[in-house]
Amino acid sequence: MKVTISLRGHLIKQFGGEQERVVEIPENTTAEEALQAIGVDWRTARNFGFVAINSHKVLITAQLKDGDQLKAYPKISGG
Amino acid sequence: MFGYQNKVLRIDLTKKGIKIEPLNMAWAEKYIGGKGLAIKYLYEELKPGIDPLSPDNKLLLMTGPLTGTPVPCSGKLSVASKSPATGTILDCSIGGHIALKVKYAGYDAIIFEGKLNKPGYVLIRDDKIEFKDAAELWGKGSHEVEGILVGKYGHEASVLSIGPAGENLVTMSCINSDYYRQAGRGGIGAVMGSKNVKAIVVIGTGGVKVDKILDVTNRLTEILRTDTLSDDNMFIYDCGTTAFLEACNDGGILPKNNFSDATDEDWTKYNGEVLLASKVGKRGCGSCGLGCGNFIKIGDAICEGPEYESIAVAGPNAGNSDPESIVKANQVADDMGLDTISAGDTIIFAMEMTEKGIHDFGIKFGDKEKYIEYLKLMARREGVGADLALGVRALAAKYGGEDFAMHVKGLEYPQYEPRGSWGMSLAYAVSDRGACHMRAYAPNEEVFAASIPPYTAEGKGEMVYNLAIYNAVKFSMILCDFWPLGLDRMTEIMTMITGREWTEAEMNAVAERVINIARAFNQREGFNRKDDTMPKRIANEALKSGAAAGQKIPQEAFEDMLDQYYSVLGWSKDGMVPENILCQL
Repeated sequence: MKVTISLRGHLIKQFGGEQERVVEIPENTTAEEALQAIGVDWRTARNFGFVAINSHKVLITAQLKDGDQLKAYPKISGG
Repeated sequence: MFGYQNKVLRIDLTKKGIKIEPLNMAWAEKYIGGKGLAIKYLYEELKPGIDPLSPDNKLLLMTGPLTGTPVPCSGKLSVASKSPATGTILDCSIGGHIALKVKYAGYDAIIFEGKLNKPGYVLIRDDKIEFKDAAELWGKGSHEVEGILVGKYGHEASVLSIGPAGENLVTMSCINSDYYRQAGRGGIGAVMGSKNVKAIVVIGTGGVKVDKILDVTNRLTEILRTDTLSDDNMFIYDCGTTAFLEACNDGGILPKNNFSDATDEDWTKYNGEVLLASKVGKRGCGSCGLGCGNFIKIGDAICEGPEYESIAVAGPNAGNSDPESIVKANQVADDMGLDTISAGDTIIFAMEMTEKGIHDFGIKFGDKEKYIEYLKLMARREGVGADLALGVRALAAKYGGEDFAMHVKGLEYPQYEPRGSWGMSLAYAVSDRGACHMRAYAPNEEVFAASIPPYTAEGKGEMVYNLAIYNAVKFSMILCDFWPLGLDRMTEIMTMITGREWTEAEMNAVAERVINIARAFNQREGFNRKDDTMPKRIANEALKSGAAAGQKIPQEAFEDMLDQYYSVLGWSKDGMVPENILCQL
């Protein structure tokens, strides 16, 4: 299936400065696995924040469906 | 200690007299500067029960030991008083360049007492203080006033000014500087207006002494390069706080239609990408490395910002997705001298009151032109603006709508929806100046970092305590909140600048002292647990959409969080600071 992965903040370095890419991944892939497939391990990525599927924040273990948009945010702070 | 000028300028507005006295260094050791030291001075000098808009109140400008040095993000000034909006202690943090000018003029702090007999402004040129007539400035917007005064005294002058809202003692009025920087909340502009002070002009030509200047410069250059201007922080330079819009929407904490919901399907119409496409300029505060200020111009609307709070309240929370009107609302509020948060919250409360048929204020969600018109009416207390200038709490008491009156202690709610970040409801409730997002920023942990589950009371007392400790020490050193430096770095910088060895334990002790003295001030004014509240809407209405759909915060969970927080600080069940802590403040 195809999903769009969007990266925010410094994470876009992973895509050479692009914000998003369409990637092909197996059925039932989780957000965590999809990010690993593009080389982002949330456990070791510096200052990793949260993920959202179709603009809803979800757990990293949430499963993706065909056509979903997965966003990954770095931690942001301020007010 | 280095970093301090060891001087306080005390200005008696009633007698038009001045006095220069030494900074109380024993207090500086305990409270550092900025927020903490300002509150300590007011705690000692203000009699309990005074009317905040009477000459008995004081307006205090407080710098810190880092002000005027090359420490990154140190260009902020604490402006403090007793709040006319809440009756609590009130400290605000304003950017721009005014803090540096106060310090370079030779002062750690300036205290304004009494009241001018007619509208005037105060001109401070180093040690020369003049009281000037402001008859020709009175009634004018803040932007015009600043233009006139900078035109008269030159670009070396920094100006604090109030708009018509401050003159008319509107308790949601702010103080402006550098046109678009504000001491925003709690009616601090009305305190200045109550003293008949339209503006304060400061020209400072001196310097600040730090320990081992060459070592300091070299080390700060390294810190700036590796810690301040890091990849992690560059979103602030690129986007400013517009970056929060998307994250808040996705995180389920972007308020819509007076906090009826917490996500907006139209968010892409006014998000950072849209606004920044109209960027016409860039700027930062004095001593800043991050430069968050973006000038946005859409049509004839222009402002520096708009910041997340101002976008959210004039945008989704007002049922509006038009970026030009959001920028215009920010521009008008700043010029009128109104806090965009409280003024906006009051208008959106009126929108819901009208839509529900409780009271007809003549404005409904989405009425973007009226939103802007109403800001002007509120600042001048004209027409419907006379009522709206009262704020949400007073309007609810007068006309009803308590179920959706979004405030704590009379200070209107910031734009982070707590049902998607339960700790935020606690942070708003226990904040020392009423509902404020700058005392403990819970979304950092519960939403943006996802390190702590957001929809539970468990652990939130300690989480909010830790966040409050962090901000209390940061705002007492008086650093900008956009630099997320660690306590270890803050300790290093304090040691480097003052030439006196600080430890992290000492810094934590300062922070806890600051939280306690602010609470003690409020306690003396009669505040206790009964005032640490959560709006009924948050407890009774579940969110309808977004990541936090279905969430509301049960009252018992909120009470549990309060218990936890008081317990961590050693306060009583009723939220009172005990005598054994009071005697050490």
